[in-house]
Amino acid sequence: MSIDDTLAAEYVLGTLPHAERLAFAKRLAGDPTLQGLVRDWETRLADLNADFPEAAPPPDMLDRIEARLFPAPPRAGFGLRLWLGGLGLAAAVLAAALFLPPLFAPQATVVAVLGAETDALRFEAQYDGAQLHVGRIAGAPPPAGRSHELWIIAPEAKPVSLGLIGDQGLSVEYPALPKGWTLAVTLEPEGGGPGGVPTGPVVAAAEITL
Amino acid sequence: MDDPIADLLHRCAAQDRAAFRALYSSTSAKLMGVLLRLLRERAEAEDALQEVYTRIWLRAHRFDAARGRGMTWIITVARNLAIDRLRARPEETQADSDDHFDAVADPGPRAESRLVALGEARRIAECFGTLEPDRAKALRGAYLDGLSYADLADRHAVPLNTMRTWLRRGLQALRSCMDGQPT
Repeated sequence: MSIDDTLAAEYVLGTLPHAERLAFAKRLAGDPTLQGLVRDWETRLADLNADFPEAAPPPDMLDRIEARLFPAPPRAGFGLRLWLGGLGLAAAVLAAALFLPPLFAPQATVVAVLGAETDALRFEAQYDGAQLHVGRIAGAPPPAGRSHELWIIAPEAKPVSLGLIGDQGLSVEYPALPKGWTLAVTLEPEGGGPGGVPTGPVVAAAEITL
Repeated sequence: MDDPIADLLHRCAAQDRAAFRALYSSTSAKLMGVLLRLLRERAEAEDALQEVYTRIWLRAHRFDAARGRGMTWIITVARNLAIDRLRARPEETQADSDDHFDAVADPGPRAESRLVALGEARRIAECFGTLEPDRAKALRGAYLDGLSYADLADRHAVPLNTMRTWLRRGLQALRSCMDGQPT
């Protein structure tokens, strides 16, 4: 077995020690031959997957995942929908009419600029009374395999992820503007900071003002 | 080959959210089982499950049905994340072994032959039967329980580098058996 084939086997098996695993993964990203070796080992060992037992995830897990992936939720929140369910159809229709989006979109105001004018990378946060929208106004998209993740930080609190900022920016439902809180953008692995905590460098940040 | 998970992955790659829900309902119990067994802590497994489905959605376009089955691909995504986390745990990053490649004989480079269909390779169960029982057990412990070389060396009461050499020989024998090559 060649050295690379041995390393590919240990990578797939999972036994490569941390530093070697990181180094191997780095090479793997740009090496089609290595990718082929890894795929072969994944195929060879795949029959062992049958030995993993099944286990029920928590019932709200799909909601949590979708909230993370698709951060602009429908206008009625979960609690509101439950409440509506108890009211009967007529009341629900009436309430739905009340919650229809207004005919004319309210004016969006810039509430924060993340990054100084001289910074290469800048984001702008706008708020229209219902939605907070954050988009990149200067600089390049994140490098391949990385994502820009938006966090909101209440005073004295831990950052909470609002989602990933794509090319179209990121819109999040926000009933009232959290003035004085901080918005920060970090560079994370693709898909966001593992474990829902920021791990990468802060590339831009600003306090929400009005 | 009929592969409903592959179909769902293709639809996810086309941003089909209904397909993502269907994929979740048909695969989440298996992935939760994978993550629980490897990470051994419920809270961390749940957290990892969110991350895994995020990756699946974002990387679905990379899935290639010509190269393997959909279920194998998503279990690989889950195992990779769990193993990354296990190997990054502080107690493990201290325990890196010295690496000696000379212990494993190299039968020479192999022709560019990809395992196109699993059906053509010998089944792993049959080949595990040809390994020394201790080595087969160590390989299973690594794959299914995420055991490190240090864990395995402890369990089998051998030095770390001996364990690594063992396991490499086991992998080599496994490959020879499955690919139908002489050892």
